[in-house]
Formats: sequence, structure tokens, C-alpha cells
Amino acid sequence: MANTACFIIVGRNDIPIYEAEVGSVAKREDAAQLHQFILHAALDVVQDLAWTTSAMFLKSVDRFNDLVVSVYVTAGHILFS
Amino acid sequence: MVEPVNSSLGKMLLEEVSPVVMVLCTPLVEETFVKNGLSFVETLKPFCNFSNIDVPVRTSGDQLYRLKKFTLRLFYASDIRQPNIQVAKQRLEHLITQAGEKDFQDLESDPPQIADILSNPESEIAPTWFQHYNKELIRTLSFSDHEAFDHPVACLLVVSSKDEEPINKFVDLFNTNRLPSLLNDGAMDPKILKHYLLVHDNQDATTERTSKVLSEMRSTFGNNECNLLCTNSSKEGNIEHQANPWASFKSDVSADKLGCALTGDDIVEIKDLMQEFASRHVIPYMEQKVRELNQQISATRKGLRNQIKNLWWRKGKDDVPDSTKGSMYTFSSTESQIRILGDYAFMLHDYELALSSYRLISTDYKLDKAWKHYAGVQVASHLCNYVSVEEMMGLAYFISDQSKKEAEYCMENAFSTYMKLGKSGFQNSTRCGLWWAEMLKARDQYKEAASVYFRICGEEPLHAAVMLEQASYCFVLTKPAMLHKYGFHLVLSGDHYKNCDQVNHAIRTYRSAISVYKSTTWSHIKDHVYFHIGQWYAIVGMHEVAVRNMLKVLDCGYQSKATQEIFLRDFFNIVKKTGMKHEVVGLQLPVINMSSLQVIYDDHRTYASQASALVEESIWQSLEDDIIPSLNSGKSNWLELQSKLLPKKYKESNVCVAGESVKVDLEFRNPLLISTSVTSVSLICELTPNSDDLKLVDKEPSSSSLGPESSTEHNQGTTSGFSSFTLSEVDFTLSGGEKKLVRLTVTPSEEGILKIVGVRWELSGSIVGVHHFQSVPAKAKTAKGRKKNKLTPTDALKFLVIKSLPRLEGSMDHLPETLHAGDLRYLVLELKNKSDSPIKNLKMKISHPRFVSPGNNEEELTTEFPDCLKKGDGQTIVQHETNRTSSVFAFPKDISLQGDRSLKWPIWLRAAIPGTISLYFTIYYEMENVSSIMKYRTLRMHYNLQVLPSLEISFGITPSPSRLQEFLVRMDIVNRSKSDYFQIRQLSTVGCRWGISLLQPVDTILPSKSLLAGQALSCFFMIKDCKKSETEEDKTMSLPPSQTDVKLFTQDDDEKLFDIVNSPLASFHESERSCQGASDQVNPNTVDFILISRLAKSSNPSAVPDLPKILSHHSCHNRIRSSNPLSWSLDGPQTIYHDFSTSLCEVKLKMIIRNTCDKLATVSIETNDYLPEAAAPSPSSGNQSGWRYVPTVTEEMKLTSDVMGSRLGKPPSSMESSPPFIWSGLSSTKVPIQPMSTTEIPLQISVFSPGIYNLSSYKLNWELSEHENASSSSSGTCQGYPYHLTVLQSE
Repeated sequence: MANTACFIIVGRNDIPIYEAEVGSVAKREDAAQLHQFILHAALDVVQDLAWTTSAMFLKSVDRFNDLVVSVYVTAGHILFS
Repeated sequence: MVEPVNSSLGKMLLEEVSPVVMVLCTPLVEETFVKNGLSFVETLKPFCNFSNIDVPVRTSGDQLYRLKKFTLRLFYASDIRQPNIQVAKQRLEHLITQAGEKDFQDLESDPPQIADILSNPESEIAPTWFQHYNKELIRTLSFSDHEAFDHPVACLLVVSSKDEEPINKFVDLFNTNRLPSLLNDGAMDPKILKHYLLVHDNQDATTERTSKVLSEMRSTFGNNECNLLCTNSSKEGNIEHQANPWASFKSDVSADKLGCALTGDDIVEIKDLMQEFASRHVIPYMEQKVRELNQQISATRKGLRNQIKNLWWRKGKDDVPDSTKGSMYTFSSTESQIRILGDYAFMLHDYELALSSYRLISTDYKLDKAWKHYAGVQVASHLCNYVSVEEMMGLAYFISDQSKKEAEYCMENAFSTYMKLGKSGFQNSTRCGLWWAEMLKARDQYKEAASVYFRICGEEPLHAAVMLEQASYCFVLTKPAMLHKYGFHLVLSGDHYKNCDQVNHAIRTYRSAISVYKSTTWSHIKDHVYFHIGQWYAIVGMHEVAVRNMLKVLDCGYQSKATQEIFLRDFFNIVKKTGMKHEVVGLQLPVINMSSLQVIYDDHRTYASQASALVEESIWQSLEDDIIPSLNSGKSNWLELQSKLLPKKYKESNVCVAGESVKVDLEFRNPLLISTSVTSVSLICELTPNSDDLKLVDKEPSSSSLGPESSTEHNQGTTSGFSSFTLSEVDFTLSGGEKKLVRLTVTPSEEGILKIVGVRWELSGSIVGVHHFQSVPAKAKTAKGRKKNKLTPTDALKFLVIKSLPRLEGSMDHLPETLHAGDLRYLVLELKNKSDSPIKNLKMKISHPRFVSPGNNEEELTTEFPDCLKKGDGQTIVQHETNRTSSVFAFPKDISLQGDRSLKWPIWLRAAIPGTISLYFTIYYEMENVSSIMKYRTLRMHYNLQVLPSLEISFGITPSPSRLQEFLVRMDIVNRSKSDYFQIRQLSTVGCRWGISLLQPVDTILPSKSLLAGQALSCFFMIKDCKKSETEEDKTMSLPPSQTDVKLFTQDDDEKLFDIVNSPLASFHESERSCQGASDQVNPNTVDFILISRLAKSSNPSAVPDLPKILSHHSCHNRIRSSNPLSWSLDGPQTIYHDFSTSLCEVKLKMIIRNTCDKLATVSIETNDYLPEAAAPSPSSGNQSGWRYVPTVTEEMKLTSDVMGSRLGKPPSSMESSPPFIWSGLSSTKVPIQPMSTTEIPLQISVFSPGIYNLSSYKLNWELSEHENASSSSSGTCQGYPYHLTVLQSE
């Protein structure tokens, strides 16, 4: 069970607009970049998926080990992952 | 889509799922082939792949088909066993390391562009060694018991003709104890095809013996099964093969030595031998076997009856305890038979048959699995058998291009089952995964392939690394390319490579990842990638590249402090290892804020201080408008001169003077949380000397400059040995996140063109950061307005250096920063000209003449402040009114400054209003004896003052109701300061017209002597108009010109009053007047007051460092306040004795009316003979202003005061109906009164009886008009004042 989470808002051209590490447990020192890597990699999946579904909330679009990526896509394709 | 057979998986299967030939040979045979640098198997290997063998095959059906591609796999008998895992692992590792070394040289180059990667053909995206790796990986699993395709199909027995008793050798070779375990333990049929080969070495064996042995062989083993191979025909052994067939199989030995003893004929012979072996022996043998098995199985298992029987039999078998304990299915078991059938059919490319066999056996296994799930250890091997069949089924589906779904399902099923087996199934699952992935790739399902690769990562880092890297390449190949995933998997793979010390590979993967992440804004990702690749480059000794990469992470302000420290430490370590200074253009540590770039230099404008240089140019320009020679004047001024002297090119550039420094302010920001020390910060400049022919300069300017360090090319001297300019060097430390504005200077010492190119600095002595200014717009502070828009950034940093000129330096002494409002200070302006050439024609302009007044001459310096302001020192300085309005102060013409002499000039400062005040002084001067572009210069000084509030005064002046020339003054003082006490000293009226006198003793005004903070005070004075008017002939003007000052303190009686008529108080008052009354029309009828006070006590001594000695408050244009424009007085006797018995008493009165406003007034007097009830005693204007004029009271008045009071308060009823007096004479008159003039109207009353009468029953109706003919603009009515007339019966 992952006890840490990372929240990122991604704007146009995959530029992160907002970034927040959430989580109670003592973080791994590389948590920040790991999360970024995972979320960044998930963009590929999201970009495919966002056009195929009308749903805005894409639950568990991608995962890496025990970290699951869920994304909320706005109408303007701003991503809240 | 590629045809399955031609896909890489198809090729792989063709190679891997092919008949195995077991080779048994004597040591002498090996010896023969070692001459070629090859073993026997290796020699044959290149000739085992047949691209077009063209053998007709008939398996199950009656249909003949032709085999096209065919492969034989040759192995020594000793190699036909399950390979040792450790050895296999080492081999794999070796392979990877080798590949890494091969790639090494590429690593130094820049990472490839992502577009290049995408445009590459598929085959080039992944490195080629992956194929080998995968092959090797699959090979680690070969020769398992249950996989019949790995069971040897044939056996090749090889004996050299040199061997003793060759026939016996043949027999010995196929001795059971030398055979692989597969054959011995019953996993496969030991009765396999045998082929006998005699090797004849042409170099050292005799043909006779060989032919003898051959015939012997033929008689023993049969004619068909024996062959002769003659090799090494080349005696010298130096044959070089054009396309060496062995090169691709043996990479580690130099290719030219391989097969050096083999002639072309030999090779052809080997080729023929293998072709014959395959087509004549192996294939027919397999064909036959397939047919045999098929028949057998059809008999036992096919058809409904057999199916049911099989079911039943299997159930029954369950009852019997399994006693074999070894492999469950020996070669003779039905299951194995079916498996062999399937595999053989697969190898013979009869996929239909293979599939049907696999399907058959698969159901069997499924049943077995259901019944035998409790069988412990055996479950695993059993499952393996089953899964392997599934796997083969999937492959068969694939290769026969049948149902995609089925193929995938089988592979997935197999794969997941292997995965479930845990560690024991891992290798199998790896192979299965690789095949599956290849299958998916062949179908363009790259994404799925990637996920398969990801799943077979396992725990071993090296293995995982390779698999992840393969996964990443799959992501590139997906349409559209999933670059994010590509990057991520590369990074993951790189980390794994690093974990098992494959640094080269780690760098390679990260390098590719950089091409994805190059332009990303995901900071942590970027830092991670660049930092690690930097570290790794350092590990492999490529420090330069390491530094280059590490530079990218230096701007990592968002990272935690610990991370930043690690980054920096490693970075500096690496830099240190390179052992040289790195010059880095665009170093991000510290960050330079280019918008903060300010260039401050002096051309004709010079600045006294930093602060003055930062003031907006427009302020100075507006200030200097009056004093600098205008452009349009006919005289040749410096601008025209310049344009004549210089080509247009230089007109555009800024001008600076040799020997005077150009200052550049630049803000450095530390992006990190840890403090960083920056050293040797200096500008990079170029100075091109002016040659006589200016056109020469148009060429590429040769840099003739010497910086503080000659390491950079810019600051290198080329022409002369001496430096033509000097640069300042600054060292500073920026703590975490700190911003610092740093001033850098360059001082040119020669004429020429000076260009400021950039800035350089050093970090920890080994990194030199360079920042060039060109690309960024810089705002040159002092760029002239007229060419504001034309200036390019480069121009702003380009200067024309002209010959050195005198430069005036000025400073203001004793200037406090904080003052109280009204504070009067004495300052000294000190001007210096250090150069030898004199300057003249000094002029000064001050932005706030209200605040600052220059003294009159140098002598004033000697007098003591503030006593010099007091009266009676015999000073005869007459108040001067010399055109103050222009606010330009011209120093005396004879002043010329030169050398060390300094000019001191007194300056008076008075803080007129509270607030923050910026004072600007600009001093204009002209150079003498200098024929230069510049004729004049200006010195600009700027000071900021903070003026604290102190006393606030306001005056109310109301006319006295009784005396026309006297006015009552009410002064309200409020101490607005927060904590300071003030003493009021003196109140003066300005000018000779108004005399002032106290109304109450000084002591009673302010008993506490000083005004506390926040305290308000009102006190009253009387002022008297002493002006002699031509129209007036007032008798009350008898007073001598009264004094204009009142002392408001009691102690120090001998202290003299301040002289307000003299400078500076007078001049300040002048400016106050013009400021305060700017909007007002000039009204002569106003009073100006000056209140002089002193700070008694400051509770906060630090706020005002030196106590103000004197404060002056000016209140100007105080108008006499009344609600109507008229003032009048009724003049007449106060007491009359009259004998009423004779006649009524007629009293003559005179009313003097004064028009106090500046308009023409028409006044009509209306008298009433009865008292109006309400309005009786209330003179409207008097009471409102809060004071009552009490006329001097006589004895008589006192006696009658009661009567009067009662009459005023509530008149007796008897009086109501009949007034005690009537107005006689004219009852209504209308008189025009000119502005500011008086007129007299005679009045008369008739009194009928003695008494005290209040003659206030009249009204003045007035009308004001601008001109006589104009319509009335305002009008009003005034009630009469009480005027008490006492009429007594005469005796």
C-alpha cells in the first residue's frame, strides 16, 4: 500500500503547473523524482486515453509497482494527476 | 505486417526450434581443426543454415511439401545438458560488458535528437547485441527433459584418419557413459540416427590409410552412414577468406586467422557434406519418425473411442500410486510420444500437425493437472511440461499465421503459469516472455510487447536492465511513439545497469533518455538524469562531459538543501578532478538578473552619488532645462560639435570620459539554499583604440584590452603591454536564496571605443562563469531621451571614450536625513575639481526652492547658527528679491575651480512640509581651455529627506466689531509629532503693515512652557492694520508703527528675537508665500505669520540625531474671516444728557462701512423702529468665531448692565408695542462702495425718554457685483450690532 502521493497539475506541452507531495510516511529520498518520472511517463497513456473516452476522471490509467496513477482531465486538457 | 516466418521471431524459431545434432569426436579430430582456430563444431556451424534446402517432405497427410529453410544445430555431446545457471549468467554478463565496451566511444558525443531516434528504421533503434543476448538467454534453458525439440535427432560420430583403430573409436564414442543424461535417464529414445564421419587432414595424413579406413567403415556401419571429410588442403595455412563465414560466430578472435588452412574447395566440401547430411539423413529420418508416431497416436488416441478410453484410463491411473518418482513421462509414454510428434512436426514446418498434437497433449496435461495437484514437487515439472506445450502451441499458432487470439492466449497462459511457479519457473517465463514479446512485436503490438518485457524483469538487476531497455525501445516503436514511457524505462534500465556496475550501459541509456527529457520542465526528472549521467561520466573518466552535464543541475533551488549540497559537492569534485579551469558560458550559479542591469556612467552628466545616478533622467532633464544651453540656439553647442567631429556611427553610442569609471550594477541571485561564495566577479570589456582614421575602426575591432586575468580571450591584451582599462573585481558570498546587487566598474584610460561584453566570475576557484550581455536587452540608465528607441542593447553597452575632462565633485555637509517640519538648517555645499583645468560659469538649480535656499556669499559661512538669524547684530543685509522665481542660482562669475581648491557655499535648508522629500540639485559648469566634444558638464546631486510632522498652526482672523483697524487673531497650534516637545518662541507678522500684540500675558498662554506631543493650544493676539490708506483718514492711526514680533517665552529675557526680514527666513517666507497662495488671487488684505519654535525635548534622540535649533512655521495669506464682505461701525456719543421736558432728543450718528472684499458692493441701510423679536441681540458674525468682543467697560455701563441684560434677554412687554426711539433722518439709503474702501453714512435717531437704548435695530442689505453694470452675483443681509446709547435726563 502506497502511503505517499504526489499531485501534479500539468498544463500545455506537458509543463507542470503545480506540484505537491502528499503523504504521511517518511519519504524515500528519491520519492520526488520517482513520482515525477511515473507521472511523466503516464502522460503517454493519458494522451492516448483522453481522446478515446468522454470521461474526465481516468482512474488508474497507469501504474508502476504499487503506485497507481489516476488523472482528471479538464475540457481544456489540463491534467490533474 | 511482416509474414510470421520472416519476422524476427520466425527467424528465431527457425534457428532455435530445429533438429539438434549431437557430435562425438576424437581428440585427433579436434586437433585437425584447431589449426584453423576453430573447433570441429565451429567449423561446421556456418554451413548448417540452409536457406533453400529444397527437400520434399511428407508427414501425416498425403500431401508433399518442400522444405525451404532449414537449420541444424550442432552440439558436442558434452554440451547437451542443461547449462549451469552460474556459468550462463557469467556468459551473459560477459556479453553485456563486451557490448558496453564496444559502445564506449560513442558516449562522448551529444545525446541524439529525439526526431532522429524516431526517424531511424526499426532495426536500428535497439542495439544489435540485444539479439545475441536474447539468444543466449533462451539457450540457458535448452536441453530440458520435456522439450523434444532440444533432444538430439541425430548423432554425428567423427574420427580422424590418424586415429588408431578408427572403427573401434567409432564404437567407443557412442559409449553410454559419455552420452548426455537425456539419453541415459530415459527422457528420450537412445536409439537415434547415427552418422559416421572420417576426417582426413590433407596436411599430415596419407590418403591410402584414409581410403582404407573408409572402406572399412562402410563395411561395418553401412555404406550410407559413412562419409569422408578432407580438410586443411592448404599446406601453408595462410588463406584469407573474402567473406569469412566464421566471423559472425566467433567475434573475439581476429577474423582473418579463422579457417586459414581451409581452401575454397574444403569449404565447398564441408558445405556439401552438411547439405547431404541434412537432406539425406536428418530430414528423412524425422519424416519417417513423424509418420510412425502419427500412426501410433492415431491408433491409440484419436477418435471418440480412444478419447473416452483415455479419460477412463487416466482416472484409473490415479488410483495407482506413482512409483517411478523420476520423470513422469519417459520417452515411451504416450504423452512424450505426442510431444515428440508435435515438436518434430514443428521442426519440419508442418505446423498443422504440430498444433493438433499439441492440442491433444494439452488436454491430457490439463486433466492430469486436475488429478495430480497434490503431487508436490512433481507438480512443478508437470506444469512445466504442460506450459511448455502451451508455449509451443502459441508459437505454432503464430508461425502458421493462424488465429491471433489463440496464439496470444496460449502465450499469456504459458507466461502467467510460469510466473506462478515462482523462481523455478523464472527462466522459462523469461524465454516465454521473450518469444511472446517478439510475437507481439511482429504484430506491431509494441505497447503490449513492452509490458511483457517489463514483466520479465525479475529481480536480477542486469537482466532487468536489459529487459527494461528493450521495453523502452518498444515504446519508441509504438505508433504514435510513447516517448515519456521510453524515457522512463530507459532511466529505470540505466539505474539497474548502474547497480550491476555496467556504467557504460547506464550512460548509454541515460544519454538516450536525455534526448527525451532535454526540454522538459519537470525539474526533478531533469536534475536526476543530468546529475546521474554526470556522475557516471566522471566514473568512466570523461570529466569534461561530466562537467557539461552536471552544469545543468546547478540551478536547483527547488531541491532540498541536502540534495543541493550533494549536487554541488559532486560537481566541484568532478571539476577538481579535471584539474583545469572550466569556462562556462551561461552558468546558472549564481543567476544573473538581466533586468537589473544598469549602466551608470558620466558623460556631460555627472553624479555626486549612487542615489543620484538612479534618479530618472526626465527629472534631471526638466530640472536642467533652464541652465543648459538649448539645442536651438545659434551657438555651436556640444551636440553639434559632436556631430561634426564624429561620424554618425559614434553619435549613437554613449560617451564616457577616460579616467572615469563606467559602473554596471547587476543583480546576482543564489538559486540555492546553501550559501555560495562567488569570487573575482568582473566585467568583460573590449577597448578599441581610436585610430586617426576612424574608418579603420569599422573593421573588426581588435581587442586591445587587459583584464585582471588574461585567461579569457576577451580580456587579453594584443597590442600593448599595458592595460588600457582597469576592471574592478568583487568577491561576495550569497547565502541561500539571497539576491545581491553588485557594482562592477571599468575605467578606461585611453580614448577609443569601449564595449562591455559580459561578466565573468569564479566559483570555488575552478569554474569560471561567463555571461554575455548581448542577447539581453539592457537598459542604459543614462541613455539620452532623444535616442531612446534607437538604442540597441549592444549600443547601450558601447561607449565612446573621450579625452579626460575636469569633473566636479560635490557634497552637502551636515545634511540630516530626518527633520521636523519647519526645521531650519544650515548646510555647506562643498565643490571640488580635482583636475588641473579650471571650470567656470557655475550655476545651480534646486528642485525644491521651498526647501532650500542658497546663501548669498561665502562669508556667511563664518557666522554662527542660529544666532546669525537674530536681530540686532548690526547686519545690514537688506532683504533681496533677486529673481527667486527662476530658482536658478548663479554662483559669482569670478569663481573658478581648479586643482585642490574647494568651494564652500552656504545653503539654507528648511523642511517646509512633512513627508518624504527628494531634493535634486544640479550644478552646471563649463570647462575652460578644453577643446573637446563636451563644453559643459553638470553635477547632479540627489538627497532624500524624511520630514517628520511637528507643529501645525492655523490662524483665524476676525474683525473687531468695534474697531475697524483692529483684528483679533486666534492661533491654533497642534503638536503633530509623535513624541517630541516643542517650545514656541516667537510669533511675527510679515511686512510692516501689521502690528501684533498680546492679549494675555505670556505666562498664561502656555504655563507648561513646552507643547507636549499631541497637545493643542489656542491663543489670541490682536493685530492692527498700520497701513495708511489714501482713502482713509482714520484718527485711530495715531499709533506709531507697531512692533511686528511677539515674544512667546519668558525666560532669557535678554535673548534677541529672530529677524524675519533677513535671509534666509525672509527668502523662505517668500517661497512659502508663493507656494501657499499659489491658487489664491493676490489679496493685499491678508496677513502672513511666522511662528518660530524650538524643539524642547525629543523623547527619541536617535530619530533626530542633531536637535533642530530653530523651527519656523509660515502661515501666509491669512484672510480676515467674516461671513459678509462688510464691516462697519456705528459711531456716535455714548452718553447724552438731554432735557426731555423741552423736546425730544435727536442724536446724530455716523456709520462707517468698509467693503472688505474685492468687488463692488452696494449697501442699503434699513432701519426698524420696533425690535424684531428673535433677532434682537445677536450680531451674527461675532459670536460664531468663538469670542466676544468686550468693549472697555465704564462705570456707568456696569450700573446699567442689569437693565440692559434684561432688556436684551426678554424685553419688557411695555416696550414691545412702542419703540423707545425711532430712526429719523433717512430711513433707507443705497450706497455703492468701491472694493476695499470705506464710506460714511450719517444716521439720526430720536429718543423720547431717558434710558439705555440698543441701537441695533437696523439691517444692512448688501449686494456684490463684479462690475458696476454687471448683474448681481451675491447678496446678503447683516443685522446691526448692539450699540448702547445712554440718554439721561439733564439736570
